[in-house]
Amino acid sequence: MSSLLSTMFLATGAMAADQGALEATTNNAANVNTPGYSREVPILQENPPVVVGNLTFGTGVSLAKLESVRDPILQLRIQQETGQQGQLNSFTSALSQAQTLFTAGASDIGSEISNLFSSISQLSTNPSSTALRQGVLTAASNLTSTFNNTASNLAAQRSNLDLNVVQSVQQVNTLTQQIAGLNGQITSLQNLGQEAGTFIDQRDVLINQLSGLIDVSEIKSDSGITLTTANGTALVSGTQSFSLTTQPGATGVQHIFSQGTDITSTLSSGTLGGLIEVRDQKIPALLTSLDTLASGLATAFNSANTAGFDLNGNAGGVLFTPVVGAGSAANIGVAITDPALIAASSDGSAGSNGNLANLNAIQNQTIIAGATPTTYYGNIVFSVGNDVSNGTAELQSSKLVLQQLQDQRGSISGVSLDEEAANMTQYQQAYDAAAHIVTTVNQMLETVINMGTLP
Amino acid sequence: MSSIRVNPYPLPDLLSALANTQQQQNTSSLDLATGTRINKPSDDPAGAAQMVTNTAQSSQADTFLRSITSVTGLLQTADSTLNSVVTALQRAISLGVQGANGTLSDSDRADVASELTGIKQQLLSLANTPYQGEFIFSGTSTAQPFVADATSSSGIKYNGNAGTNNVEVGQNYSLQVNQAGSQLFTSASGNVFQSVSDLINALQTNSNIGSAVSEVSDAYDHITGQRVFYGNALNQLQAQQNFLNSEKVDLATAADSISATDMAATSTAFTQSQVATQADLAVMSRISQTSLFDYLK
Repeated sequence: MSSLLSTMFLATGAMAADQGALEATTNNAANVNTPGYSREVPILQENPPVVVGNLTFGTGVSLAKLESVRDPILQLRIQQETGQQGQLNSFTSALSQAQTLFTAGASDIGSEISNLFSSISQLSTNPSSTALRQGVLTAASNLTSTFNNTASNLAAQRSNLDLNVVQSVQQVNTLTQQIAGLNGQITSLQNLGQEAGTFIDQRDVLINQLSGLIDVSEIKSDSGITLTTANGTALVSGTQSFSLTTQPGATGVQHIFSQGTDITSTLSSGTLGGLIEVRDQKIPALLTSLDTLASGLATAFNSANTAGFDLNGNAGGVLFTPVVGAGSAANIGVAITDPALIAASSDGSAGSNGNLANLNAIQNQTIIAGATPTTYYGNIVFSVGNDVSNGTAELQSSKLVLQQLQDQRGSISGVSLDEEAANMTQYQQAYDAAAHIVTTVNQMLETVINMGTLP
Repeated sequence: MSSIRVNPYPLPDLLSALANTQQQQNTSSLDLATGTRINKPSDDPAGAAQMVTNTAQSSQADTFLRSITSVTGLLQTADSTLNSVVTALQRAISLGVQGANGTLSDSDRADVASELTGIKQQLLSLANTPYQGEFIFSGTSTAQPFVADATSSSGIKYNGNAGTNNVEVGQNYSLQVNQAGSQLFTSASGNVFQSVSDLINALQTNSNIGSAVSEVSDAYDHITGQRVFYGNALNQLQAQQNFLNSEKVDLATAADSISATDMAATSTAFTQSQVATQADLAVMSRISQTSLFDYLK
């Protein structure tokens, strides 16, 4: 059955649907600069038809829902890459600070080693000169204080990283709480059969931030989503978030605990992954190398110096305070203050320089892990430079990948103002058309009503 | 809607491109300003490690060169001192030959003997020559090498030792830089002080003057022979100095090829990154200013 009134209803229904669609367009245009916003598209649906006799009449249109356009798999890729980038970012920025200590200059360990040997050579041309002996002592104490400074700088950088770890853990906790809260809102909206696009967008933004801090795996379930770290430690489960805590560990740095379990060494991605790698592996390895170099030099110099005789004809003593093993670089010092105690002489006479040759020979001896002191130091420079250089290269490529993924996300979910303008025109015209129909039907109804009042 | 949707937000891409070109610009300008392309180890880890060795080697070469300069001074002083000794001994010999002439009176011989006593004093002072505060003929001792001694037949005894010093002037290359005074002045094959003393005695007693003169002549031959050591050492130092100077040039060339900025290439890169930055800025200023909304009026 088709009547003028039902035609009128059909037209007003179309007007309502078009108005709803126009609202989606307006919302899209309004959120054009909102980070993480996914554009909404109105889903228009044909109403079920009415069959009258052998005729089938359409019954118009209705707005089924406003749907956010997003690609969940792409979102996961973006999260992974954000984690990767967070890790590389904190790794390279932390190690870049460390590498400045190994930059060639007037006062790095390498040049101080050269200066010490140079002062010894000078002394050999006039072994009884107090000025030249003092030169050796000065060069030795410059070397030890450079060792001390480098080691304490590395230790200071390590404790700064430790602070960063604690701050990052606090950020992780804030984010997991917010995500758990959004999970609750999304679930209750979805249970009511409503679209939760806005909240999902917000949650995606937060999960992205979380991925930048720590490794995150996402599992979708009926009660929202579950987030865990790569090794399965729960961060968020539905509306429940699990806080991480920090406690000082045995090595004097903060360890990260989740419900009593130490998960520090399992974190490999995000800012925390990078910070922990530098704090617990790279800097300790550098310190160990410096310790090896310092104690190797100290041992060699001490044994060479004790083999000779000082200016007074007495047997030589140790030149460097004997430190072996961990803490050598931080604590090495010059053992003597009297320049006469440098054992230049090989036969006890004050003018002999015979033992200086033994001291000088150390620079060409493979006394430290099969390398000469200079080569060993060069290897340290190489390893720290190489780590930073590789990290930087990987960071560059990770940035490119992330950029492409963001482009891809933009091409799917991003708001295009051109498109929205076109949509606006389209819905406006449809609305106009429906409104015209209402006017026309109204006139027809008037005609029908006037049929009864013929002049 | 079957057309491919493009990312409507080109700005982040452009910003990151801009950051990249500016980074390139900074790197190039730092390389140009410092003249080295390794400003931190990560710029070229292998190169930075090579530079550590290169710097150490070149500092070693500098040290050797400084040692050579000090040692050369010492050896030249010793050599010219011995030259004076030789001259003094020549004078002693001619005085001895003159004193051996039978026509001389006792008082003439006494005059000759007293001039020889003066020469002996001069020889003593030459044998005690210091260089930079240290005696050069005392072996490895720091004591004054030759001192008066009434118990000795020559009246002078050697107070130093027989030690010698070597100074490293190259990698695994060390050079003996002194000779003990005992070897030079009181050697069995030519004793400077004993022979001059004997000549003075012979002139004073007018006996065995001829054999005393030949004794001095032996001492003269001995010192002349020993001087060769210093001449050789100075020659070797000169050769080593030339070698080290050319080694320094080699090391500097190597350092350049490891770390020096390629000025032409870096300037080009700098200009390119400038152009790229300007292009990015131009694009950014023109893009996204309009949308379809502007035309729907």
